[in-house]
Amino acid sequence: MKISIQWLRDFLDLPEAPRAVGERLTLAGLAVDGVARAGSDTVLELDVTANRGDCLSHIGVARELSAIYDVDIRSPEAAAAEGSAAMDDVFAIAIEDAGLCRRYCGRYISGVRVGPSPEWLVRRLEAVGIRSVNNVADATNYVLMELGHPLHAFDADTLDGSRIVVRRAAAGETLRTIDGDERRLDDTTLVIADARRAVALAGIMGGLDTEISDRTTNVLLESAWFDPVSVRKTAKRIRLGTEASYRFERGADVAMAATALERAAGLIIELAGGVALRGVIDVYPAPIEPDRIALRRGRIAEHLGAAVPDAEVERVFRRLGFEPRVSADGWTVRTPSHRHDIAREEDLIEEIARHHGYERFPATLPVWSGQGRQLPSHAGETHVRDTLAGLGYTETCSIAFGNRDTQAAFAPGVEPVEIRNPLSEDAPILRTSLVPSVLGSIQWNLNRGLRDVALYEIAKVYPTSGEKRRLVMAATGAADAPRIHQSTVETDFFRLKGEVEALLSRFDLVLAESTDALPPYLHPGRSVRLGAVASVGELHAEWESRFKFRQKICVAEIDIEHVLERGLRAIATAPIPKYPAVRRDLSLLVARRTPYRDVVEAVHRAGIAELTDVFPFDRLERGPFSASFYSLAVTLVFQSGERTLTDSEVQGFAERVLAELRKIGIELRS
Amino acid sequence: MAGIDDLRQIGERFDGEKARAADRSSLEELHARYLSRKSGLLTLEMQRLRELPADQRPAFGKLANRLKQRIESELAEREAALAGEERSAREETEALDVSLPGSRPRIGHRHPITLARRAIEDIFLAMGYTVEDGPEVETTYNNFDALNIGPEHPSRDESDTFYISDDIVLRTQTSPVQIRTMERQPPPIRIICPGRVFRRDELDATHSPMFHQIEGLVVDEGISFGDLKGTLDLLHRQFFGERTRTRLRPSYFPFTEPSAEVDVSCEFCESRGCRVCKHTGWIEMMGAGMVHPAVYDCVGYDTARYSGFAFGLGIDRYAMLKYGIDDIPLLFQNDMRFLSQF
Ligand SMILES: [Zn+2]
Repeated sequence: MKISIQWLRDFLDLPEAPRAVGERLTLAGLAVDGVARAGSDTVLELDVTANRGDCLSHIGVARELSAIYDVDIRSPEAAAAEGSAAMDDVFAIAIEDAGLCRRYCGRYISGVRVGPSPEWLVRRLEAVGIRSVNNVADATNYVLMELGHPLHAFDADTLDGSRIVVRRAAAGETLRTIDGDERRLDDTTLVIADARRAVALAGIMGGLDTEISDRTTNVLLESAWFDPVSVRKTAKRIRLGTEASYRFERGADVAMAATALERAAGLIIELAGGVALRGVIDVYPAPIEPDRIALRRGRIAEHLGAAVPDAEVERVFRRLGFEPRVSADGWTVRTPSHRHDIAREEDLIEEIARHHGYERFPATLPVWSGQGRQLPSHAGETHVRDTLAGLGYTETCSIAFGNRDTQAAFAPGVEPVEIRNPLSEDAPILRTSLVPSVLGSIQWNLNRGLRDVALYEIAKVYPTSGEKRRLVMAATGAADAPRIHQSTVETDFFRLKGEVEALLSRFDLVLAESTDALPPYLHPGRSVRLGAVASVGELHAEWESRFKFRQKICVAEIDIEHVLERGLRAIATAPIPKYPAVRRDLSLLVARRTPYRDVVEAVHRAGIAELTDVFPFDRLERGPFSASFYSLAVTLVFQSGERTLTDSEVQGFAERVLAELRKIGIELRS
Repeated sequence: MAGIDDLRQIGERFDGEKARAADRSSLEELHARYLSRKSGLLTLEMQRLRELPADQRPAFGKLANRLKQRIESELAEREAALAGEERSAREETEALDVSLPGSRPRIGHRHPITLARRAIEDIFLAMGYTVEDGPEVETTYNNFDALNIGPEHPSRDESDTFYISDDIVLRTQTSPVQIRTMERQPPPIRIICPGRVFRRDELDATHSPMFHQIEGLVVDEGISFGDLKGTLDLLHRQFFGERTRTRLRPSYFPFTEPSAEVDVSCEFCESRGCRVCKHTGWIEMMGAGMVHPAVYDCVGYDTARYSGFAFGLGIDRYAMLKYGIDDIPLLFQNDMRFLSQF
């Protein structure tokens, strides 16, 4: 909303320069976004909040300033010279739907000469962003900007039957509006009609057939009050927002309807000549009563943190048009008809706070006892994030929308949540997998010349069964920063598997490995599941080519929601062993189809309590042995908590392990 | 005095050989040659003590012991010198070009939104707040109705809010978590609700369909607007720096009364006015206010007894201001050239 400083000066004396006036308004809740020169005038750009329709006018802003500067307001002249013929002899107005139109005032002005407006008027309208049309239309627009009340001028001679009926449209009825569009109406639309047809969309726009033209000599001037919800719904349905609908939607001032009518009629006669017929037709079947709200003195201090002197409370209310009457413990305050946002005591307290000044209330801190808590998952999540940072993974954040086909490929069989009004038909669902996003991020970086990238994201996926947090990790290229001192290690399946194992090792989880039900986007021979919690692998060749990757990409998807629910394992320390551990290396020949997992399981089947660890340290695919075997060297670690193990004891353990290994066809390599 | 002469000859011979000994193994040989328990020259000579006449024995013994001590100490001295030389030689050959860079391990980076979120959470945790969370796919009731946002409010438009159905939306704020908390427990409430929210805006330099919020809610006896001011002032001084000032100015939200837009003083121009603060000296950071009694009505709190405040801030916005990020898409592109700066 543009506000002219010169125009404001019609209503009150401003003791400060425009920029300072703007700052005062901002601090009273009318945010001034810009201050611009316009010829000899200065224009303020106001951002008026949705509850303050009363400030969409110069008088409304002047009212706020009268409270800010504690100065009086001059009311504009609102009187029209009347002739002797009575209006109700020649014209009739009826409201059929009194719910949607609470008041309708009309004035009949005869003998006008439509023509251009004088320079001062053109310039004033221009300053607030309105183009001059003709003197009659300009007069109504002037009053709109001045008093905030939308008016409409009809060419009275085009109104059939010399009457106005405010009614709902009939289904199938049409109206060509001033902008030239043919509007199809229905029975939710409130229209202004003459005896025969709709002539205006109530509170939104007039009809083309009845608008003021060069030939107009008689004017019917409308000033009414329409139901905000009805205007909003209609304006939205037909996608037509106007200065008038904007104000009616926010609630016009029912009392202002009569004043604005007189102000506009007087202005039309001044600008275009003519004379007003005697009397106003004012159809106002059920006057809207102002609210009376109790305000307790003590509540002000309680709510705001400091008391406000009674005189200041009363001053603010009077300046804003409220009528405070002293009561036993405070006031009973009558709200003015231009305010639709005041319904409770707190609303009144806000008016005091606003105009007394937010800056005048002391900044304190609430006093309380007790303690705050982080989310239950916080400790685990922090551990995950710290570990990932240490492993060299950088956190990403991606928009949560996904493509239907891609998501289905990465999370097959998962029913996605569909957005009814997506921004793009290409991404109409909420993600069911984080993998496409992180692959997209890898791709983005590779396309920009990077080669070594390790990323992760912790975010929700949203199957219809309920949203869940997931962790995705993806890495490609060297696993360490480039260095000249030794060669770098490329990220591969085993690197990522080890990272995931390390990441999860502190959590209270049992991770049974399996190669069943692997995700379809992973290389079937280079992927593994760790319990029900994680899947780790190299990207499937199909997706490698679809994403145009020319280097190996490793991906892990982790059900972090489950991991964090399990939580970190409670720490219970064991004593440091007193007796030395003994290592025994075994060099084995293993059938090619036997996985390492079977070897370890066989070792454990020997049931040796002193066996504390078993790990592989060498694997040879080819050598001086049959091609259907591979050579595997494993280290067994034995330790007793009670004594130093003897050579012969350890030898006995090794024999028992070998006996188990032989059962699955594994021999010692000689 | 044959014995004494022999000792002198041994001494002279040692001096000559010592001078020729160039390394530690020669010194060890010398030690063995003169002092070895079985065959050392001096050892053997000293064994001849018994053959000498009794009157010569003291002088011989004295001289022999002195020679033994001399050989031992001179060998030790020479050995120490040689060890020093060897150490220096080794240090010379082992010397590195220490100006080469270290083998730096790769360390990952946190996303700026996570950094800002943690920093803000920590400030409130220290003040005694509890962190709460809730679903991102929310009921229309929790997201709008319970917050006094009427059925006709423009923010409910399909152009502003993502709908799953008439009754289910992608939450447009984390306030539904406040509603869930208030429905679950009576006052006192002191919570912050961080999380992801959605508004139907195309991604551009200043908008995003998805962003992150932290909302705070305090409901207790005797909570005032002044408490809200003090709390936000503390937040901003701790997050942006002690010199940061906070300003509240009146605004409008359906769920608070009085409502405020909250500004912080512009650090870039020290409040003199610049492009960042649109020449006002202040930067708009968040919305806040005293909780509207209609919200208490929705959750069944006694409005006569309790009062409280609420605020909602965009983590993305706080991160952008703190780290000098001027383009929202940077937050979601996941470009390492950007992320590696954190
Ligand atoms: Zn600035």
